[in-house]
Amino acid sequence: MQEYVDKIATCVAKGKVNKTAPFPPDMKDKDGADEIAAEALKNGVHPDLLLEGCMKGMDIIGKEFSENRAFVTNLVVSAAAMNAVLKHIKPFLESGEVKRKGKFVIGTVSGDLHDIGKNLVSMIITGGGYEVIDLGVDVPTNKFLDAISNNPGCSVGLSALLTTTMANMENSVKAIKSTYPDLKILIGGAPINQDFCSRIGADFYSPNPHDAVDYLNKSVA
Amino acid sequence: MALPGLTIIGESINDSVPSTHIMFEENNIDGIINLAKTQAEKGAAYIDVNVGSHSPEFMADMVKKIQEHVSLPLSIDTPDPAIAAAGLKAYDPERAGHKKPILNSISEARLEMFDTYAEQPFIPILLITEGLNESGEMVMNTTAEQIHATAKSMVRIARERMKNAGNDQIILDPGIMPIGSDSKGDFKRLIDAIALIHQDKDLSGINMSVGLSNFTQMLPSKKLDGSPVKGPLESAFLTMAMPMGLNTIIGSVNRKYQILEDDHPAMQCLKDVLKLKGIDIVMRVMFYYS
Repeated sequence: MQEYVDKIATCVAKGKVNKTAPFPPDMKDKDGADEIAAEALKNGVHPDLLLEGCMKGMDIIGKEFSENRAFVTNLVVSAAAMNAVLKHIKPFLESGEVKRKGKFVIGTVSGDLHDIGKNLVSMIITGGGYEVIDLGVDVPTNKFLDAISNNPGCSVGLSALLTTTMANMENSVKAIKSTYPDLKILIGGAPINQDFCSRIGADFYSPNPHDAVDYLNKSVA
Repeated sequence: MALPGLTIIGESINDSVPSTHIMFEENNIDGIINLAKTQAEKGAAYIDVNVGSHSPEFMADMVKKIQEHVSLPLSIDTPDPAIAAAGLKAYDPERAGHKKPILNSISEARLEMFDTYAEQPFIPILLITEGLNESGEMVMNTTAEQIHATAKSMVRIARERMKNAGNDQIILDPGIMPIGSDSKGDFKRLIDAIALIHQDKDLSGINMSVGLSNFTQMLPSKKLDGSPVKGPLESAFLTMAMPMGLNTIIGSVNRKYQILEDDHPAMQCLKDVLKLKGIDIVMRVMFYYS
């Protein structure tokens, strides 16, 4: 059974989506994440192990990306391979037979329309074993509050890419903390730093997506 | 290196560049002036000045100090109206051969940035990636048609606010996204938007600009064989976009931008990208650099 975990981890880390996918070249014509997940379930492997394979694979690529050893393209194809596996696990997630570590609500703050950084973080956190509720870009505070009330026990991530929208991040963080003082808030984005994080009362500044998963694993999982 | 027909706004004096950020933090004015001088020597037509979240006074101070040493016009780069106004007011056209500064950038959400025009006329970069929807909310434009519509509406406003200035006094920024994560067809949308603007007679002669380094962000700098990845892809974009009126970039003076032959691998890559969808686009880019 462990061999399926490793096979899936390899496909996810290397971004081998399915048999016909041309990447990576050294896995040409070999089964990809899609085929291996189907075969594993057919052979009675518990879907938990498929999720474990995804987490292992995304951990590898996330770490490489954070250390500038992998590129954004690698991350995108790894996420595609992960999604190919998640498609097979979906019925088990819906029935509750497979459980994730927690829920993570994420969005780019009000007035800010940047979504690439947020999307990369979403991919890595999904790969970390969390259910990600992506609110998109230009998210007003009340939309964050609604999502939090609909997803009890979640953590929240806010992204801002503009110096002008950092003030909106501060307002959202303060409003969330005043209603949910124990909820963990992670922030990130090009102009954000640790000083700003401490000043506005957020719990964690993540300079890269991988650190965000580490923090969630330590603090909420 | 200069490419005929291409105006380069030198991108180095930007708070989001880590080494420049440190210079700002340490108030290393000599370092900043050196960055301006080097870019001027290497062919920049304008020097971009982006001070991040520093104060309006800091922007004004930088503008004055750079102008004491460099005679190129500046591009005041900020989304913050107060920082923009301070930079523009501090700018002295006489020190730049009577050339107007560029203001980068104005979107429909911050039209008050035109207020300084009467006091200090400038060439605005109009950001057309986002626009007001029917209910008056700012939304990201998701189609080339929407980008084109925002361009028309923004140009109409700009003409009113700039005392009927001509199209040649306006720059449109249709937005360029990293090709390495383009699983939603961002590149095709950009090329289609540039084509629509180019074909629009009302927008004839208008300038178009992108922040070109963003295009190859987070890609490897070299292929396995050691040849460069980013420069050729950026050049391939210019080869496609310049015949459709793109004539300005915020970019690096260290890149050797050039017009590529049709069969260049970077050209082939971008042409294929226009035909592909979803994850296949990203795989095609990986194939190019592998």
